[in-house]
Amino acid sequence: MRTKLGLVVAVSLIAAPVLAHHGFDTEYDAAKKVKLQGVIKQVSWTNPHMRVYIDVTDASGTVTTWNMEMTSPNSVQRQGWGRNSLLPGEKVIFEGYGGKVVESRGSLARIAKADAPDKALFVQGGPESAAQGYPQP
Amino acid sequence: MKHLPISAIVVVVVVAGIIAHPSTRAPGALSEAEGQAPAPAGIPERTRDNDGQSRVEQVNVGGTPRISAADAAKPVPRLPDGRVDLTGPWVGGGSNADIERDGGLKPGELPLLPWAQKLRDSRKAENEPYTACLPMSVPRVNPYPWKFAMTYTSRGLTHIYVLHETGDAGAHRVIYMDGRQHPPDALPTWWGHSIGSWDGDTLVVDTVGYNDKFWFDARGTPHTEQLHTVERWTRVNFGTMINDFLLDDPGAFSRPVRLRFTAMHVRPDLDLMEFICLEDNQYGAAGGFTPAQPDREPVAAGR
Repeated sequence: MRTKLGLVVAVSLIAAPVLAHHGFDTEYDAAKKVKLQGVIKQVSWTNPHMRVYIDVTDASGTVTTWNMEMTSPNSVQRQGWGRNSLLPGEKVIFEGYGGKVVESRGSLARIAKADAPDKALFVQGGPESAAQGYPQP
Repeated sequence: MKHLPISAIVVVVVVAGIIAHPSTRAPGALSEAEGQAPAPAGIPERTRDNDGQSRVEQVNVGGTPRISAADAAKPVPRLPDGRVDLTGPWVGGGSNADIERDGGLKPGELPLLPWAQKLRDSRKAENEPYTACLPMSVPRVNPYPWKFAMTYTSRGLTHIYVLHETGDAGAHRVIYMDGRQHPPDALPTWWGHSIGSWDGDTLVVDTVGYNDKFWFDARGTPHTEQLHTVERWTRVNFGTMINDFLLDDPGAFSRPVRLRFTAMHVRPDLDLMEFICLEDNQYGAAGGFTPAQPDREPVAAGR
């Protein structure tokens, strides 16, 4: 435990049996992977899980507001987010998994500003989210 | 390889393209470099920065950054009166997804009575009380911080409060350290009645009076109001604390069972933050259901 824990340990945990936690399998569908571009409507710093509401306009001009779930505001702040990290009106590219019943309610896998697509602001991944049943990026 | 509870592991997912900044480090990364860099007391400089991308150093999700390996190995701290300091904050030290596995047992080793095993296997994750913002209780933890608040009064260390950032549903757990005994016929509660004592530097917590409404883990491992737990908390170095946990519930288990969990200290600049679970709980909406309430879940079977 006190030695350097490197990738070897991490890989062995990812390979370990994963039990679905309430976080994913009860609500979201790993097969409904989406990647979309849109405009931030609202960033909701609320518990138990933060949400980002994103307006996506399709080819015909219809606007759908995607309700993308993140983790708790506390865990997002601990990763470095502040209240101005993402603001209404900003263009973003996001990936996620659609809801089983309401597809536009999704689990956010990744989000970045449209003018800096390689710099992810949030990525759902890692062995802890694997333990919670989240698909790994 | 030694099996480690998942909650005790942090993996830093470094996303390509994160801007390098002079003060940027990788918090939680168990590397020599991280151990040498002192963690800041807060992050005041970064909150003035309007660019969220330059501040994002680590994007693993769901967990709380742990202390570096170098800092964890330092000696156990003491309170001014010489008593061992168990404060923390900590991450881990209990069950989460699966009490059997998290507690160090092999699959099938948990001695559940047949009715309890059947109930566990029939429970659905979406009915977990925790998702309705109800308490997780003992020994459940999740990857968010908690602490032992060691409270001194004019009579000395009379109470230890267990404060959990999430999973306590806004309540707290109190461990009475003043030598009192359990009340003879207490009404069952979510956290039970806990009395604590010292065995050298080990905190021994004896608890009865639990209700049967919480789940031991996300699998739905059940218990009854006969549950009696004994926790033995030993801080082995600055960053590591062992929970030697005795589970004794003749209503749901064929014999008492001993489990072992390990808590890790959080990164030194972190503390508990506010968590108001009910302010916007949309759990279930994407899946077309609403969170269950405890009285909908029958637990009387088998008693």
